[in-house]
Amino acid sequence: MKHALITGVTGQDGSYLSELLLEKGYEVYGLMRRKSVVDYGNVNHLRDKIHFIYADMTDVVSLIKAMQISQADEVYNLAAQSFVATSWDTPLGTADIDALGVTNLLEAIRTVKPEARFYQASTSEMFGLVQEIPQKETTPFYPRSPYSVAKLYGHWITKNYRESYGMFACSGILFNHESERRGKEFVTRKITDAVARIKLGAQACVELGSMDAKRDWGHSSDYVKAMWLMLQQNAPDDFVVATNETRTVRDFVRAAFTAAGIPVEFRGSGLEETAVDLATGKTVVRVNPKLFRPAEVELLLGDPSKAEAVLGWKREISFDELVDRMVKNDLCLVAAELSQ
Amino acid sequence: MNKRALITGVEGQDGYYLARQLTRQGYDVFGIVRKKARHELDERPGTEENYQKIYADMMEFSSLYRCVQDARPDEIYNLAGLSEIPISWKQPTLTAEVNAVGVLRILEALHICAPQARFLQSSTSEIFAPSLSPLDEKSPVATRNPYGSAKLYGQWITTNYRESYQMFACSAILFNHESPRRGVDFVTRKITASATRIVLGMQDVLELGNLDAVRDWGSAEDYVYAMWLMLQQDAPDDYVIATGEPHTVRDFVIAAFQVLGVSLAWEGGGFDEIARDRKSGKTLVRVNPAFYRFPREDVIIGNPAKAREKLGFRPKHTFEDIVEEIVKNDLAALTRGRS
Repeated sequence: MKHALITGVTGQDGSYLSELLLEKGYEVYGLMRRKSVVDYGNVNHLRDKIHFIYADMTDVVSLIKAMQISQADEVYNLAAQSFVATSWDTPLGTADIDALGVTNLLEAIRTVKPEARFYQASTSEMFGLVQEIPQKETTPFYPRSPYSVAKLYGHWITKNYRESYGMFACSGILFNHESERRGKEFVTRKITDAVARIKLGAQACVELGSMDAKRDWGHSSDYVKAMWLMLQQNAPDDFVVATNETRTVRDFVRAAFTAAGIPVEFRGSGLEETAVDLATGKTVVRVNPKLFRPAEVELLLGDPSKAEAVLGWKREISFDELVDRMVKNDLCLVAAELSQ
Repeated sequence: MNKRALITGVEGQDGYYLARQLTRQGYDVFGIVRKKARHELDERPGTEENYQKIYADMMEFSSLYRCVQDARPDEIYNLAGLSEIPISWKQPTLTAEVNAVGVLRILEALHICAPQARFLQSSTSEIFAPSLSPLDEKSPVATRNPYGSAKLYGQWITTNYRESYQMFACSAILFNHESPRRGVDFVTRKITASATRIVLGMQDVLELGNLDAVRDWGSAEDYVYAMWLMLQQDAPDDYVIATGEPHTVRDFVIAAFQVLGVSLAWEGGGFDEIARDRKSGKTLVRVNPAFYRFPREDVIIGNPAKAREKLGFRPKHTFEDIVEEIVKNDLAALTRGRS
């Protein structure tokens, strides 16, 4: 029976990956930070099936102990401060976890079990001010935030360890991947949650930042399959995981409201742009300049052909299904919340 | 009112030449120094102090913040870092703490306290994939060790603060630069110090790794001038600082022995290659596979066109000047020691 260690197990990807690996018969170990209120996050429903280990990406001793306890054959480094906007507010914390944390974990693996296979959660945000369209594994990076600079370091240190120590270490360059479990601070879930509240009369309007930003959105449950596939190959390598489709935030807004039965129309432009509920004439979306990033990533569009050819990875959930699932789920959750 | 400059890593090679230059240019210079266990009176005598010491550490944000508050710099030169690549494998986390996160700490200190100050990040050719063609600012990046990865972070976080906060923050992408003050762990100084010791009868043989490795060697004294030029421009930008002239490690060895009046005859190849003193026939140089860093081709040459065109930067020292200056300094130090 294979052992897997997942850092960031309580997050979105951690939860879908845990389900996948449990289904495949792995013993799953997950790292958790100690909080004054025990919080299993998105793996609350799996808390009896996962072996939790208290650890912290900034504490290399805890990572060595985690490796010793888990004797992991596969390590998935999903732990991160992953909200781009916050990285300007907490740049050092972001660097400690997202950059140094990777070095700490690689050193822990090398110390305890150097033959373990390692997956680093890299990100399309590293492409930032994109140097070619679509972006693939060979596209030069141009990070635009303290988050993506930290992740860039994580990507390269992973390669350094692979090339110099012969470790089975892979970097997955995943484009945006969302789900019903996405944190509400992320624009997709912020939108679907707001759509549900607006539909159920609990909220009138939602404020957004740049609606022109274009992203390549997939569903997290498809993407964790790619992570697992990378660690099953004969040799370690890096892969882009994406849908090869790009849409604006505005497109997401329109699709989300439509999924809730609220056709909207966009009026005006720039900071004055709004979205209006066609049935009621009410403004449901406004732009707030405070939500603009200091340095924006205008467009991301990924080419997953290497992952498709080499890993046999295929995206199953379409954009429309993604939005539909998120909206329907938030309608249930908000309805339950309001009825209490 | 004099302009004020703050230098981190002031006690290193580049820090020495930069502090000296800025003092000559009329700056009030502040240098960040780490408190060491050894008392200052035990320090090497004759070290010129062209700066006012402030105690701080790249690992400690509060100390950097206080430095910026106290020094009120117009210009900051971030030269601090662990700069030996083999050590970066043994101390990868420390390397990242100083060479990566350290840059972020000082950028944030400036962002909060002195956002108008001009910042120079010492970046490195080690971020690039080795290439037979000269490397410029847009060449593909591919780090090969924790040092390169940390420095890559340092360069990109500098760019990010420039773009996010409109700070005058630039990276000098410095190719190898040498001087008599280079540490003896670096191959150039290892060569000159060994050649001198061999000629004085204090050492038998110099052992090296890849004699065919190609580098673009410049003078530290020239390069700190380029760093200063970068901060005098109307707008912040990144520049490759290099000579554009390739030389092999073997070239450096030949030149060093030549300054000492010794001509070498090379025999064999690969791991068996040696160099003999033409006069005595004694083997003076040998290859030791333990010193090989890369079994494959190892070529790093810079394309300094942008610095030449936009900064008007032209190195003053030739390759021969550099080797001669270092060898003569090593010779003087060793003969002084003996007399």
